[in-house]
Amino acid sequence: MSDTAIKDFEAAIAELEAVVKKLEEGDLPLEESLRLYERGVHLSRFCHARLEEAERRIEVLNERGHLQPPPAGLTAEDDSQTKR
Amino acid sequence: MSLFDLPFEEPLDSPDDTLARDKPGATPNKTKPRAPERHVHTVSELTARIRTLLEEEFFEIWVEGELSNCKVWNTGHLYFTLKDQGAQIKGVMFRSALRLLKFTPKDGLRVVARGRVSVYDPKGEYQIICEHLEPGGLGALQLAYDQLKQRLATEGLFDARRKRALPALPRKIGVVTSLDGAAIRDIIKVLRRRYANAHVVIRPVRVQGEGAALDIARGLSAIAKVKGVDVVIVGRGGGSIEDLWAFNEEVAVRAIAGCPVPIISAVGHETDVTIADFVADLRAPTPSAAAEMVVARKDEFVSRIDRLEVRLRGAITARRHRLESRLRALDARSGIASARGRLAMRARDAGELTHELRRAMRAGLSTRERRYQTLRLALETFDLRRRLAGLRTRLVAGDGRLAAVLDRRRHALDARLGAAVARLESLSPLGVLARGYAVCWNADRTKVIRDASSVAPGDRVTVTVERGELACEVKGRV
Repeated sequence: MSDTAIKDFEAAIAELEAVVKKLEEGDLPLEESLRLYERGVHLSRFCHARLEEAERRIEVLNERGHLQPPPAGLTAEDDSQTKR
Repeated sequence: MSLFDLPFEEPLDSPDDTLARDKPGATPNKTKPRAPERHVHTVSELTARIRTLLEEEFFEIWVEGELSNCKVWNTGHLYFTLKDQGAQIKGVMFRSALRLLKFTPKDGLRVVARGRVSVYDPKGEYQIICEHLEPGGLGALQLAYDQLKQRLATEGLFDARRKRALPALPRKIGVVTSLDGAAIRDIIKVLRRRYANAHVVIRPVRVQGEGAALDIARGLSAIAKVKGVDVVIVGRGGGSIEDLWAFNEEVAVRAIAGCPVPIISAVGHETDVTIADFVADLRAPTPSAAAEMVVARKDEFVSRIDRLEVRLRGAITARRHRLESRLRALDARSGIASARGRLAMRARDAGELTHELRRAMRAGLSTRERRYQTLRLALETFDLRRRLAGLRTRLVAGDGRLAAVLDRRRHALDARLGAAVARLESLSPLGVLARGYAVCWNADRTKVIRDASSVAPGDRVTVTVERGELACEVKGRV
């Protein structure tokens, strides 16, 4: 039931689908359906967290294979838009 | 058209013929050649006739040559000379046609021109009026394009089976393009607009000119090695076919086909198709569209998760409803409601038994009283002491018997009561609660809530669980 049991985003969605299907299909014992429901809620929270976690960043990979910040002009227009 | 414009023979002039010409129908086969009419053209007339001849003969022709003396006049028309080793022809391309060209005609460029030949009367010069120009090298490029495409198709590099799906949530988006072009700005703009937390790694490369294809290939292999990059956009903004050519070169195309992570090609505009488009996992009509495709996956997953959440809640609600209806069914058979009925019945039983017990005791007492009265009467007539002793003995024995009877009776009642209580307990709501159910009451605990619509958000309810009760407030219906 812990986060470590969730492999990755796509696995989480697949498991969430399986959980929902099982809940919809079977007349499971109360304890089992409550356990599945909790698992489902947990999985959907995990998915939402993953959706939001990627960083907002732009980098430039130079000839030597080093990552550098982008030239100022590249994102200037965009930054002015976000300020608005 | 005047008579003079008709073709005619030009025999020698003869004065005799003047007469003959007056009656041409009468003497058609005269042995003496008739005198030709001397006709003098104006320059304009001649030029007009030459123009008509040329225009009719060279109505639509293609001609290949080298451009020279290119000059665009302030009218917007292009004037030029088209030449090869042995000849040259002047040409003009009007502004309306010139505007449609994807390249700028320059001196020294080999071109193929389509147009018609006409004459510029004021200068007496014939010239080609050009409708369309294309670079003369195109034929060779087209051939190279067709040949490479054919070869790669045979190798199976265009197979649909090779196409990979884009990652659901790209961790890092690799972009291989020029830092100076419009493509990278368009991509960043879209990613920022649609996916505020995108992580973009750009590998700057030359996207046109000598060595661009190799540069693109190296850039792709470099970006694929960056940890976390799980999708790549390769491309550039619009341009002429020559500008986009690097994306038709084998070294770049093979690098795209061999990219270890899913790759989107985004070269030029919607109408530009390069071989890169055939080998990439996905072809985007423009760089902006490529960025949209990357984020569309995210949107797709957001709505998929939302739908799953709705179904999850729906399933557990349905499960609850099924449980409730089963509870109601149990109620109808031997459930809580009936248990309460039985409780009342047993209570009545117990009451009756108690009453019976009292009656029995009273009956016992009055029997004893009657006996006592009888004894007292006898006492008056018999020896008091003896009688008294005898009576006492009997009285004690009677008392003991009575107590034993009452005891037995009470034990039987106790046993019946115990059984009733045990039965009751097995049917009591508390027993059900011990199995994990809860009972929800209205605020003053007079009614069990069976229908969620019978309460409103804000209502207070009491929930009885196995051990204890909860005072709750309804927040809403699920």
